[in-house]
Amino acid sequence: MARQTELLKGTLDLLILRSLELEPRHGLGVAERIEQVTRGTFIVKPGSLFPALHRLERQGFIDGEWILSAAGKRAKSYRLTAAGKKQLSAEKKAWARIAGAVGQMLEEQEG
Amino acid sequence: MSIRRTLGTLWQSLFRTSRLDRELDEELRGYLDDLIEKKIRAGADRASARRAAMIEMGGMTQVKAEVRRVRPGAGIEALWQDARFTWRALIRKPAFAAVTIITFALGIGTNTAIFSIVNSILIQPLPYRDASELVSVWIDMTSAGFPKAPLSGPELGDLRQRGTLFSSFGGVWPNSTTITGDREPEQLTIGRVTANFFDTLGAPAFLGRTFESNDEAQGARLTVVLSYATWQRRYGGDPSVVGRSVIVDGGPATIIGVMPEDFRLLLPPDAGVPENLEAFVPFGARVVYGSRATRFLRIVGRMKPGVTLDQAGQQITQIGEAVTKEFTSYSRASRLFTMAGLQSEGAKELRPRLLALLAGVAILLLTACLNVASLLIARAASRTKETALRLAIGASYRQIVRQCLVEGFILSLIGGAAGIIFGEFSLRALITLRPEALGRLALVRIDTTVLVFTAAAALLSGMLFSFAPMVEVFRTDLIEGLLDTRRRFGTVRYRARAALVVLQIAFGLMLLVGAGLMIRTFVSIQRLDTGYTIERMLSFRVNVPGYGPIETLNDFHRRLQTELAALRGVTGVGAVSHFPFDTIPNWGGPYYLKDGPDPSAPFADFRAVSPGYLETVGARLKEGRFFREADDSSTQRVIIIDDLLAKRAFPGENPIGKRISLNPEFNRRNWMTVVGVVRHMRLRSFVEDLSEQIYLPIRQSTRPTSYVLRTTGDPAALSGPVRDVIRKLDPQLPIYDMRPAEQYLVSARSAQRFIMLLATSFAVVALMLAFVGVFGLVTYSVNIRRHEFGVRLVIGARSREIIGLVLHEGLVLLGAGLLLGVAGAAALAGLLHNQLFGVTAFDFPTYALAIVVIAIAAFTASWFPARRASQSNPLDVLRTD
Repeated sequence: MARQTELLKGTLDLLILRSLELEPRHGLGVAERIEQVTRGTFIVKPGSLFPALHRLERQGFIDGEWILSAAGKRAKSYRLTAAGKKQLSAEKKAWARIAGAVGQMLEEQEG
Repeated sequence: MSIRRTLGTLWQSLFRTSRLDRELDEELRGYLDDLIEKKIRAGADRASARRAAMIEMGGMTQVKAEVRRVRPGAGIEALWQDARFTWRALIRKPAFAAVTIITFALGIGTNTAIFSIVNSILIQPLPYRDASELVSVWIDMTSAGFPKAPLSGPELGDLRQRGTLFSSFGGVWPNSTTITGDREPEQLTIGRVTANFFDTLGAPAFLGRTFESNDEAQGARLTVVLSYATWQRRYGGDPSVVGRSVIVDGGPATIIGVMPEDFRLLLPPDAGVPENLEAFVPFGARVVYGSRATRFLRIVGRMKPGVTLDQAGQQITQIGEAVTKEFTSYSRASRLFTMAGLQSEGAKELRPRLLALLAGVAILLLTACLNVASLLIARAASRTKETALRLAIGASYRQIVRQCLVEGFILSLIGGAAGIIFGEFSLRALITLRPEALGRLALVRIDTTVLVFTAAAALLSGMLFSFAPMVEVFRTDLIEGLLDTRRRFGTVRYRARAALVVLQIAFGLMLLVGAGLMIRTFVSIQRLDTGYTIERMLSFRVNVPGYGPIETLNDFHRRLQTELAALRGVTGVGAVSHFPFDTIPNWGGPYYLKDGPDPSAPFADFRAVSPGYLETVGARLKEGRFFREADDSSTQRVIIIDDLLAKRAFPGENPIGKRISLNPEFNRRNWMTVVGVVRHMRLRSFVEDLSEQIYLPIRQSTRPTSYVLRTTGDPAALSGPVRDVIRKLDPQLPIYDMRPAEQYLVSARSAQRFIMLLATSFAVVALMLAFVGVFGLVTYSVNIRRHEFGVRLVIGARSREIIGLVLHEGLVLLGAGLLLGVAGAAALAGLLHNQLFGVTAFDFPTYALAIVVIAIAAFTASWFPARRASQSNPLDVLRTD
């Protein structure tokens, strides 16, 4: 089992937005996608997933919609809104800056 | 994020929580189902997949709680939850809620009512322009029995001439007059005023105008200003009355104006000017040229801007001194011109009482708050375990504190609302029961200032007692709280609160004693021997104008009296110039026993009475005889004197046949012969023998006349027949003030009754507060000692003994309170001394009864928690260890 890493505060929002970039997903879909893409580094539990989803929805970055699944069950599916896309690219840039800075710091120390 | 969306979610999360929750529920269940499916697909069997999924999910409720917390309005929702929680808790213990709210309502309510009164009488200026410039002027004739005598016309002239610090002086003389000429004849209580009176007062007319100097010019047509009430009653509020001609006192007159609805003539109560005169007519300008000895004018002066009361007062005194020097006929006693601010003089007697009252209610509010705090602490103490439990399962201190605050807030909200209602109610009651001397009370309303004051009081107290239980909350140690091992008394705090309760008991006892003494005073005044009896009597007034010479008038009155006496059920009829305690200005003056001006001539009250009057009111003849029909204008002038005068004027002699004159020229034309002596009658004061009394035959003088009829049945039933009799004699004659004679005495006693009621209500409130105080404190210590009681019960104590233990605590409080209270009441007695009548300040039955009442209250207040302590199941109490 892959080692799990504590999510940095604010990172979860970025990961959720990113996971919805290509297509709408429901709750479990988002969690699976994050787990899959990070190869199990991040496992998002419902206790943090749902509050984050609802918060993002309230902020207008994603939009929840009740749809009928293939099995004929009602499920709430989230899709990225225009505002969400903008937010995602802003957060990506911010993340890149942080990651670069942190990486540099680490390299220097090791070197 | 869009505002609309936020507001929408806010709306939903506040009021559509159930829908949001249902959707969240569905979403989470969907997630769980998907997870289970996934595990099954990965090869697990359904049962273990389900279990694994559930574990991974980590508790549906917690997830939901987390989601709810990010919703907008989560804080409000939590508050709302707290509110509902508090509400349920209060409903569950309605007695606690009721006691708390009533305590609070009493504190807030009495404060609202009393502050409204203080505000309107002491703080709000009189309803006249620049009211602080207005002063009241009188002559101090205390040595002659008239501490505040009115001025004569020439003295008003002196003031106007020499009062350089004043812009004007106006005078008023309450009187009555007949108005006819357009509608049915009517007798009105009027104010005869100087033309500048309303301008001096700074009170403009509502319709038309008030008087101008032209109105008092020689030969000017008489003008009339109506009060709003008269205008409404007599003319139905018809604006065209201005300019209308009427007949006033037999002469033509013109109505020139109507005063505003809220206009009141607020002269000092002891000036004897009714506040609601029905109309006003001007004096002629000659009013300042009358006799210097005929004093009838009540004077209002307006100081020039910037003049202080001290300066103005000095000038008034100087004018008095100068005038005394110039006119030597003045007696030594009569030169003291005196002045005071109109407002302060009007409130003079009330001011200290009102301030004492305000201090009293402030103390009440404070004790009410402390009591509520005490109740909440007692409750918090009983909920220590609950609080500990809530802390243990994850509630934060913040949540617990918030809940306490919400509880305090809700209680103060309900209590405050109840308090305002109670305040409005008590204010109305006070207004209804107000004595006539407190006319201003009628205008008192709960106004904005008072509402702000009350709201502040409510909020402040709300804060005060929200914080109280927190002491208990923060003392709640998790482990100790759960195990309930804490059994120590918080001795220091307990002692402080016990001291407070002792004070409350003492305070309650003092007020009870005070109220008891006031009640006994009132009862003695009611039972007092006034020297006459007027039960079952009807009284009314007639004004008989234009009957010409005194003989014609006497004929009319003789006929009227005979006809009235012939009515069925009438056992006595009499006529008198002044009925006891009526509102007609007193009639009195010096009397002389020998010829020549005598500056130290004693004063007496004069009353003109018809034959039969003294007999009808039950006056007690001590010597000589009553008046007869023969004592009229054609025979020698006779008088009857009271025993006080007889004792002073003719000590050790038989007064019958002695001569007295009301005029310094003591001669055959003026003197009058004493034919009888009656016991002094209390005509103007219940508690004092004021002036000596001289009764003159009404047939030898012309005075406005009140009739009294003694009847065997209900006096009110006589009013119809009486009207018929008078109408038969003269259909134009106005009859007024027809009422059972007793009403004059009832309203004269109203001041005393008012004080008594006020004292009683205070005592009742104080008693209730003392009750709540004892109840709160004993409940608290019972809650804390529950464990101890449990142990005692287990090792064999009987519930009676437990009750005894608790009652003991209440009785210790009571004992201390009683000691302090008796001491306090005794100290107060000195102050009360001159308010009492017919009872001493150390009246034993009053003290005893007050002690019994407060003891019963304290005993009952301890009984409830005591019984609860004795009934607790020892196992329940001990099991928690």
